[in-house]
Amino acid sequence: MIQIILLIVKIILLIAILMGGFAYTMLLERRLLGFFQLRLGPNRVGPGGLLQPIADAIKMMLKEDLMPAQADPVVYRIAPVISAFAALAVDAVIPFGAPVHVFGTTVNLDIANPSIGLLIAFAFSSLGIYGIVLGGWASQNKYSLLGGIRATAQIISYELAMGLSVMGVLMLAHTANLEGIVLAQARHGWFWLPQIVPLLVFFVTMVAETNRTPFDLPEAESELVAGYHTEYSGMRFALYYVAEYINMITVSGLWVTLFFGGWLGPSFLPPIIWFFIKVGIVIFLFIWIRATLPRFRYDKLMSFGWKVLLPVSFLYVLGTAAFVSGVL
Amino acid sequence: MFGFYLVGLVAVAAAVGVVAVRQPVHSAILLIINILALAVLYLMLSAEFLAVAQVIVYAGAIMVLFLFVITLLTAGKEEQEAPEILSGQRWWAGGLSVAIGIVLILVLGQAGTRPEAAPAPGLGTLQDLGQALWGNGFLYLLAVGMMLLTASLGVLVLNRAVRANRTAEEVRASAPSEEEARKAVKGGGTP
Repeated sequence: MIQIILLIVKIILLIAILMGGFAYTMLLERRLLGFFQLRLGPNRVGPGGLLQPIADAIKMMLKEDLMPAQADPVVYRIAPVISAFAALAVDAVIPFGAPVHVFGTTVNLDIANPSIGLLIAFAFSSLGIYGIVLGGWASQNKYSLLGGIRATAQIISYELAMGLSVMGVLMLAHTANLEGIVLAQARHGWFWLPQIVPLLVFFVTMVAETNRTPFDLPEAESELVAGYHTEYSGMRFALYYVAEYINMITVSGLWVTLFFGGWLGPSFLPPIIWFFIKVGIVIFLFIWIRATLPRFRYDKLMSFGWKVLLPVSFLYVLGTAAFVSGVL
Repeated sequence: MFGFYLVGLVAVAAAVGVVAVRQPVHSAILLIINILALAVLYLMLSAEFLAVAQVIVYAGAIMVLFLFVITLLTAGKEEQEAPEILSGQRWWAGGLSVAIGIVLILVLGQAGTRPEAAPAPGLGTLQDLGQALWGNGFLYLLAVGMMLLTASLGVLVLNRAVRANRTAEEVRASAPSEEEARKAVKGGGTP
């Protein structure tokens, strides 16, 4: 019984943390982009703009939920929900910290700890694309459709390189369990050094998977208005934003867990704080890249994914396999 | 057992929906629901890896490609009944599927649905499947790998067949060189 209550509390807490993380990542991005571009960014609502997310949330909820007349009503309404669901679900398997002891029971800081946690994370994140492609299709708008189709091709192409780049970590850790991967890094040292190439490949692919600049072709505003979410307004539009930012937090968490020791760190701070610090640094990297790099050209993006990232990560997997099995 | 019937009902309803609805994108969505329901059934049978592979490969990759093609082809088209080439094929399909269903129920009823023994612990996990594929079944894995490689090479060859007839000089003559293209762009830019 206590386990079930604990599970429900953990699920609610996780969603609350992720939604708060979404709101303040967005504020952080807007303020940082402001500084990168020699302006101030939103700083009027509350001290330093800290209440801006609340103002935005109220605005989004009060806005009218519009739907184009030709749109497919069911698919149009459900598409943003799929995106947000897939983004939230992945976090269920990411361990946020070492197990803690409260009131005589051991509490794992993740919702579930399956033996194939990493694969489950991949399975859920691969479902997120449906929200984008179905939203683009259901809007019955040329730009939305093009955005959705671009997203499909891009995510399918980069998912392969992403999957291959984590194979080396699995081989070194001898497990696909995310907690096991972190504990293996406590024993053998963090995997960023032995897996330096997959680390970079994973970073590039995770920027592409979250449709962030320089890979934001699905919502390229100079050619597609706003891509797949052109027709959306109000909370449904906000749900796409929730999905994008939570995906950002999620892949950052995965990257940190796989290559930078997850919650591990010197003992003067609790493990969960170390995890959040690491994720925060990665999110800063995301924003920094957005402020710095221009958008890819579409054919360049495709040939980069298929002709550079995929072969490189494949060769590194073979090398790691040879190393782990003792051939090298 | 209640869970099994619930998920099974979802799977069957989605499968019927795939052929029953008119809009191809709706069919694709129902097929995805069917695939996900099957994955849950695998999970209940303690085939963890199979369930996840089902989601990653079928729901996450193959159906995305299906949707890619369907959304491209059906964009802006009116929903209309396509003329049927084979007359009465629906009745044939319905009758045959009912017949197959009856045969399956009879055969499975004789064999019994309960397994002889409980599955060994660790069955269906990543380690177990890895041992099976790379240990005893390695020859089969190799054979399947060769088959897939042949298929993908075949696709490449078939798609290049038209171009292969052109000689290198013809290609060079028909396409403007890079410098010419650059000049053309520059020239076009000046008024």
